[in-house]
Amino acid sequence: MKRWLLWFLLAPQLFVLQGALETIAWPPCDVAVLLCLFLALFAKPRALPGLLLGAAMGRALIDEASLPVQILVIGIPVAVLVPLRSLLFGQRWAWQVAAAALCALAVPRLSGLCGLWFDQPSAAATVDAWRVGWSCVLAPPLLWLLRRLPPLRAFVEVSP
Amino acid sequence: MRRVGGAAFPVGLYGMLLLALCWLAAPAVFLPLERLALAVPTLPHRLVAAMASETHAATDAEAVLRVDELRAGLQQRLVVHQVHGGRALLPATWLPVLSRVVSVARIGGGGVPAELRLEHRYRDLAGCQPFVTQGDVLLGRLAICGHGLAIDDGPDDHARVLLLHHPQAAPVAAAMPLPDGGLLRMVVQPAAKVDQAPLRVQMWDDPYRAAQLRTGGEVVRTMSLPAMATDAVPPDLRLGTSQVWGYGSGDDVLTIGMFVEPAVDVRSLSHVVLWTAARPPQPLPAPRTVACTLWRLPGVGGRWLLSASASVPDGAAVVVDGVCLGIARGLAFGQALVTSFPRSRQRLALLLLPDDPEQRPRELWGEVVRASTATAWLSCRGGDRAALPPGFLFTGSNGRHCPPGLLLGRAMPQPGQPDLLAVVVPTTADVLTAQVVVAEER
Repeated sequence: MKRWLLWFLLAPQLFVLQGALETIAWPPCDVAVLLCLFLALFAKPRALPGLLLGAAMGRALIDEASLPVQILVIGIPVAVLVPLRSLLFGQRWAWQVAAAALCALAVPRLSGLCGLWFDQPSAAATVDAWRVGWSCVLAPPLLWLLRRLPPLRAFVEVSP
Repeated sequence: MRRVGGAAFPVGLYGMLLLALCWLAAPAVFLPLERLALAVPTLPHRLVAAMASETHAATDAEAVLRVDELRAGLQQRLVVHQVHGGRALLPATWLPVLSRVVSVARIGGGGVPAELRLEHRYRDLAGCQPFVTQGDVLLGRLAICGHGLAIDDGPDDHARVLLLHHPQAAPVAAAMPLPDGGLLRMVVQPAAKVDQAPLRVQMWDDPYRAAQLRTGGEVVRTMSLPAMATDAVPPDLRLGTSQVWGYGSGDDVLTIGMFVEPAVDVRSLSHVVLWTAARPPQPLPAPRTVACTLWRLPGVGGRWLLSASASVPDGAAVVVDGVCLGIARGLAFGQALVTSFPRSRQRLALLLLPDDPEQRPRELWGEVVRASTATAWLSCRGGDRAALPPGFLFTGSNGRHCPPGLLLGRAMPQPGQPDLLAVVVPTTADVLTAQVVVAEER
């Protein structure tokens, strides 16, 4: 229960924190991409719905589109990547970079498509090459860090 | 070894995606849940902001006065161009009722919205003529409360207007000049949704001369026709311009049909005019506003957290010093998230007040295509093809809680890009008091 409370309180703040850090010269890294990768590669499958909701709540704080649109924008790349988890066995950094690139391109594209289909356009629907690049570079080390910190530590799939 | 079997088909995740689709299909059902879900993560921001920040009251009285003058000028010019434009074509004893458009709905001919809801109620408009105009343009007909499409409407409901291209709209007798002199008389009726224009021409009086037409662009106006006396409208009101449809290309075209492109783009409509021979209803008061406090979300350009003493509806306009800062999305606990006008990508109905006092206000619709801190570049559509003049940009009709006539900023046309306007918006402090429009339910 405590881990979920922490997740719903802290996960949305990650999006605001990233924005605040960018104003002091932190590289532009997409938190949605980071959480997509965590959900797809490391999270316990049973915890995915709740984790996805928390991530979508965070993105809805900074983006104009509604909560269900954010669920789709983050959830679809996760749904595509999750079945590949067995192929990406070993969690090598190369896989993470490749998956980060996929997510960094998919998230804004899905944002644009959902905006078009559901009449909820978003300012985050444009692909920013710098953001894609930095997300690829920063995702593996940040994921390594986040997996060892609460609240995400509690949701990492346990090795038997 | 890592356990991976459960990840192959995560039912919960797919269920969540399915739930999101249901959520989008029936947003009203999930609205309380969404408001609560987004209000909880904003509570820490509200707490921290309230403790750490000093609120800046809206104090620039001179700026507010200037905005009020601009709004008065807009209203005055709207009356001159939208009311008096049709004056000469109608009986002198009829008096105009200028009514704000509250919403646009239901797709009609040409795939264009075909139904309006007005700010006035049916009860307010009792005794009004059954047709609706803007300037010298005939827009449509006022629905009759309790009849036809408005069978479920009561006298206290917002009046409904069926535009001429509404699937259930009655046809109109019309005429257009022919290039070699004379008139081509016809009946204009709603086109199909998939047609190229909202109105279609039927039953022209001279098929031979009609078949000789090679180009469109002629102005089509209403005419009196005894055979259509039941749904008669005053003659000489403008409907739009003709579009020729036929087989072949270039000069070798066999014209077999004609469409009419309406003179007014429905998506940009902010006001319409009704006419009454009796005493017109009292002008409606401006929508109610509620005082609120705004905090800029740190690091998120153009996003604000709003706190008010009342529940904030979705789509409510937030006004600072008389200028519309942006549109709110309501949350629980009297909170809302506000997206500033430059950051928002929502399609908006707009009103452009040209600097030239002789020019009419332009009704437009469009969306921001790019923005910097204090400038938004808007791609505009609607209205005529004339180049956009410099002036001041106001909101058009964007729902009950975002009324027309709220100043957005100074608009300048962009050389070489006739549909693009650069709008300079005022900069604001990080924490400030404001007003949010919360129209009252009657």
